[in-house]
Amino acid sequence: MNHAAASAPMLFLIPGLPLLSFLILILFGRWLGKLSAWLSVAALASAFCLTMSLAGRVTHGDPVGIRWAWLSAVNPRWTIGFFVDGLSWLMLFIITSIGTMIQLYSIGYMHDDPRFSRFFAYLSLFCASMLGLVMADHFVLLYACWELVGLCSFLLIGFWFEKPSAVAASRKAFLTTRFGDCGLLGGIMLLAWATGQLGFANLPAIRADLVAQHKEGLLTLISTLIFFGSVGKSAQFPLHVWLPDAMEGPTPVSALIHAATMVAAGVYLVARTFVLFTPQSLAIVLAIGLITHIFAGTVALTMTDIKKVLAYSTISQLGLMMTALGLGSPAIAMFHLTTHAFFKALLFLGAGSVIHATHQQELSHLGGLIDSMLITGITFLIASMSMSGVFPLSGFWSKDAILLEAQYRAPVVFACLLFGAVMTSSYIFRLYLRCFHGRASHDAAHAHESPPIMAGPLVVLAVGAVLVGLLGSPFVHHWFFHLVGSEETHEGLDLGMLAISTGVASLGVWLAWDIGMRRRNYVPAPLRPAATAIYRVVANKYYIDELYQAVLIRPFLATTRWLSKFDSVVVDGMVNGAGAGGWQLSQWKAAFDRAVVDRVVNGLAECVRAVGSAGRRLQTGLVHHYLLAVTVAVVAIAVWLR
Amino acid sequence: MVPTLLIVSSALFSLGVYGVLTRRNAIALLLSIELILNAASLNFAVFSRLYGQAQGQAFALFVIALAACEAAVGLAIIIALYRTAKTVLADQVTLLRG
Repeated sequence: MNHAAASAPMLFLIPGLPLLSFLILILFGRWLGKLSAWLSVAALASAFCLTMSLAGRVTHGDPVGIRWAWLSAVNPRWTIGFFVDGLSWLMLFIITSIGTMIQLYSIGYMHDDPRFSRFFAYLSLFCASMLGLVMADHFVLLYACWELVGLCSFLLIGFWFEKPSAVAASRKAFLTTRFGDCGLLGGIMLLAWATGQLGFANLPAIRADLVAQHKEGLLTLISTLIFFGSVGKSAQFPLHVWLPDAMEGPTPVSALIHAATMVAAGVYLVARTFVLFTPQSLAIVLAIGLITHIFAGTVALTMTDIKKVLAYSTISQLGLMMTALGLGSPAIAMFHLTTHAFFKALLFLGAGSVIHATHQQELSHLGGLIDSMLITGITFLIASMSMSGVFPLSGFWSKDAILLEAQYRAPVVFACLLFGAVMTSSYIFRLYLRCFHGRASHDAAHAHESPPIMAGPLVVLAVGAVLVGLLGSPFVHHWFFHLVGSEETHEGLDLGMLAISTGVASLGVWLAWDIGMRRRNYVPAPLRPAATAIYRVVANKYYIDELYQAVLIRPFLATTRWLSKFDSVVVDGMVNGAGAGGWQLSQWKAAFDRAVVDRVVNGLAECVRAVGSAGRRLQTGLVHHYLLAVTVAVVAIAVWLR
Repeated sequence: MVPTLLIVSSALFSLGVYGVLTRRNAIALLLSIELILNAASLNFAVFSRLYGQAQGQAFALFVIALAACEAAVGLAIIIALYRTAKTVLADQVTLLRG
C-alpha cells in the first residue's frame, strides 16, 4: 500500500455523518418521531455519495488517506488515520449501498414499533463504526471500531428486550464474539511487543523483518491469533453458536449485521492483514473454513425456521470465504463477500417480508405465497439462484472463482466444495419451494405483498444480486480483481467449470424439489433407523450448544457461585473480623483509660486540694492570730540576727 | 539615767505588745499600737541624749507625725469595719477567713 497519497478531510464525514445521526437520534429521537428514520437514511446515503465521489480516484489506483498525530506525548512519530484503497473502498460501497437499502426497508418493517427512533439510532451507530473499521489504517483504531460493532450487535439483537430469549441471545453473541476478540487483542499485543509497529502500512515490512530473523513461528502465532478474532466475529466453527440465536433480533438487523456487514468484518480483517499469514496459519484458516462450510450446510438442510436456515447458510458461506482465504487468494474471498452481501441481504429482507405479512417463521405454517407475494417471491428466487451459482448471476462468478482456485491448488478441497455447493443449492431451494410453492397453510392464506418502502429495496438488491458479479467476469476483464489489488490467475471463462457448477446446482435444486417438496425417501428400509438417528443429531445442530453448556458454562457458573460464597464468607469475614478486633481493642483502651489514667489525674488534683485544705487553716480571719504571728516572727528574726 | 529610761521604754513596748495581742476592742488595739510607737520614739530620744546628737530627737518627731497619720487611717478603717460588721470587737470579725 502506498501511503504517499493526498489526504482528504472529507474522509471524516463518511463515518462522521452516521455518527452525528446517532447522537441526534439517541438524544432527541423521541421528539423526531418518524423523521428519525429519514435522518438516518440521509446520513448513510450521503456517505454513499461521498464513497462514489472517491470512486474515480481509488479505482484508478490512487488511494486516499488522512493521518493525525496520536499519543504524541509517548512518541512524536506515531500517527493513526483513515486510509481508503481498493479493498476499503469496496467495503465502503457494500456497507453504504446495502445499508441504505436496509434502512429504507426498516422504515416499513419497524413502522409500529414503540422504540422506532432508537432503532435507527443504533443502526446509525453501527454503520458509523463499521465504516470506521474498514477505513482504519491502524490496528488500534480497527480494534476500537471492532468492539463498537460488537456493541451495536448486542444492542440490536436484544432490541426487543421484553423477550427473555432475545436478551439471552444478545448476551450470548456478545460473549462469544468477545471471546474471539481476546485472540485478536492477543495478536495485536504480540505484534506490538515483537515489532513495535501497528500501522497497516508497515505490514509488508514487518513480515520481511520477521522472516529475515527466522521468526516465522511468531508470525504464524500472530496471524493465527488475529484469525481467532475473525472466527468469533464471522461465526466460524467453534464460535458459530451465537449467529443462529441472533435471529431473535429484528429481521433488518439480521440482514445488515449478520449477513452483509459485521460478519464480513472477519473476512475483511484477514484480507487486510493477509501479508502476515504464513502457510501454516493459512492451513488453519482453510481447515476451519472448510469444516464450517460443510458442517453449517448440513445443519441448514434440517432447519424449519426460515431465519435459522438463512443463519446457517450465512455461517456456511462465510466458511466458503475463509476457504478461499486459506487457499491463498484474498481477492477471490472479497469477491464472494461482495456477491454474498447482496444476495444474502436480499434473502433476509425477503424472509422479513414474509414474516411481516404472515407473522410466521416456521416452514410448516407457510407455503404457496408466490400468488400473494409476487415481488418477494421473485426476488427471493433470484437471490436463491445467485447463491446456488446459476450462470450468469453474481454468485456464479464468485463461486466459480473459488472452485477454480481449489481445483488448481487442492483437489481434495475441491471435492468438498462441490459437496458443499450441492448442499447450498439444496437448502436454499428447499426453503424457497416450501415457502412460496406447494399447498398454502392456514396462516399463509391471508398474506399480502409488502408496501413499496419494503418492496423497493428488494428490487434494488435483486438488481445487485444479478449484476455485481459481472464486475469480476471476463466480460470486463476481471476489473474487480484489479480493484482490490490482485491479479486474476484464471483469465477467461472456464467452460469445464461452468458445466460442473451448473450440474451441481441443478442436482441441488432437484434434490430440494424431490426430497424437500415431494418428500421422497431414498434411504433403504433397513438403514432407516440409523438415518433417522443421524438426522436427529444434525437437526439438533450436533448438540454443540448443549456441549458448551455442560463443559464450559455450567462449570464456569459453579466457579462463580463458589467464588461468591468465598467472598461473602472469607473476605467479608476478614473485614468484619478486623472491624470487631478494632472495636475490642478500643474497649480495652477505654477500660485502661478509666482505671489507670483517670486515677492518676484525679489523684494529683486530690493532693493539691488536700494541701490547700490544710493550708487554709492558717487563714482564721482573726486579727489577733495575725498579730501573734508577726510578733513571733519579729522576735525570731531579732534572735537570729544577733 | 540612760539605763533607767531604756527599761521604761522596754516596759512600755512590752505593755503595748501585750495589749495588741490580747485586747478585743479594735480601738484598744490601736491604742496599744500607739504605745509601741511611743516606746520606740522614747528609745530614739534616749539614745540621742546618750551620744549628744540631734538625729534621734528628729526621728522621734517623725515617729510622732507618722503615728498621727496612722491613727487617722486606722480609725477610718475601724469606722468602715463597724459599718460592715456592726461591731468593733476584733474576735467577732472573720470576714477574711479562708
